[in-house]
Amino acid sequence: MNVSSLTPPELGSLLKQAGIFLQTGSFITHLQTSIPSVAEGIGLLYADYPLAEQGGFADFHVSLAPPRDLRRWFKPQVLFLSDGDAPFKPLPLDQAFPMLEWGLNWCVSSHANRYLIIHAAVVEKGGHAAILPAPPGSGKSTLCAALVHRGWRLLSDELTLVRIGDGKIIPLPRPVSLKNQSIDIIRRYEPDAIISRKVSDTITGTVAHMKPPTDSVTRAAETAQAAWVIFPKYQAGEAARLEVLPQSRAFMRVADNAFNYSLLGTKGFETMANLIDASRCYDFTYSVLDEAIETFDALKPPAPSM
Amino acid sequence: MMWRLISDHAFCFRSWNDEFVVYNSLSGDTHLLGLAAAQILLELQQAPSDAITLATSLAPLLQAEIGEEFSLQIEHLLADLDKLALIEHS
Repeated sequence: MNVSSLTPPELGSLLKQAGIFLQTGSFITHLQTSIPSVAEGIGLLYADYPLAEQGGFADFHVSLAPPRDLRRWFKPQVLFLSDGDAPFKPLPLDQAFPMLEWGLNWCVSSHANRYLIIHAAVVEKGGHAAILPAPPGSGKSTLCAALVHRGWRLLSDELTLVRIGDGKIIPLPRPVSLKNQSIDIIRRYEPDAIISRKVSDTITGTVAHMKPPTDSVTRAAETAQAAWVIFPKYQAGEAARLEVLPQSRAFMRVADNAFNYSLLGTKGFETMANLIDASRCYDFTYSVLDEAIETFDALKPPAPSM
Repeated sequence: MMWRLISDHAFCFRSWNDEFVVYNSLSGDTHLLGLAAAQILLELQQAPSDAITLATSLAPLLQAEIGEEFSLQIEHLLADLDKLALIEHS
């Protein structure tokens, strides 16, 4: 049973009472909330996601609720609660859905230490994964959103999960976070993309989330092999350009973008080193999405190691 | 002056072309090292040594001429590795 099999009133009512058990990739989140904008966002962006057994096991127990203080009467806010604790300060109520997305990222990045977790988008084609680590403002999510509408499968927009042991990339397809100008860029680039309403004045500016393609959600159990590590950088007016990056330099930069590399110790080093060994590494500059897609489509996977 | 690794089993190495990434499991730090610095660590992994002995054994590998200048370079590298807490006086 998927989220879309519930009518909006049924979904709202279930979220308000027992909560839903939402399966995203290999994680199950038990989510409770009575906030209408969150129910609306779940109905819109998570329509294709399976619902796990009601009352069964969940990796994360999450709720969004107004804080119990006087502000709720004149300037309503929202708190993200994980296992009853609030890891973040409250935000304006209007930011409830983005806060859920950020909170779910936090749940995974702070708890899922069976994986090496890299702050990077990751997309797949033909079983080969392209990992895109990049700081905010580099155009990573815009590029990722465009790629997944042009034949690449979304494995994740924010968190690349590398399984310790075999180095496989574990999909965690969730809505793609778009910020500021990239919202309208993707609306124009892919008019059929389903994008949530804009939320302004967040800590990262105006944000909206894009629904992942259905195929990416239904194939969430299919792992992929790392083939490329590509550091994208949007630069107005520049032609698409790939520049080879020495693997040792790529190692250091990916390690800087990993949440738990240090925590994992030697296992983190070995997992990262194997990932880099298996990948061709590049810096990538682009300004036109179609040129970027063309460049990605022409990527050759590394020869399999003997 | 003799040098040795801070621990015989603390390091993991991985190399790509002429650069090495070295993980120190005692400190949790990861270092990007050039060929010469990494070769010094690999030599010291075999046994403690001094700058002159290291210069003599590394010169052919690094295609350097054995002499005062190269020994000085090795001494500077040893000082750098000491600052990174990868080696210590024996």
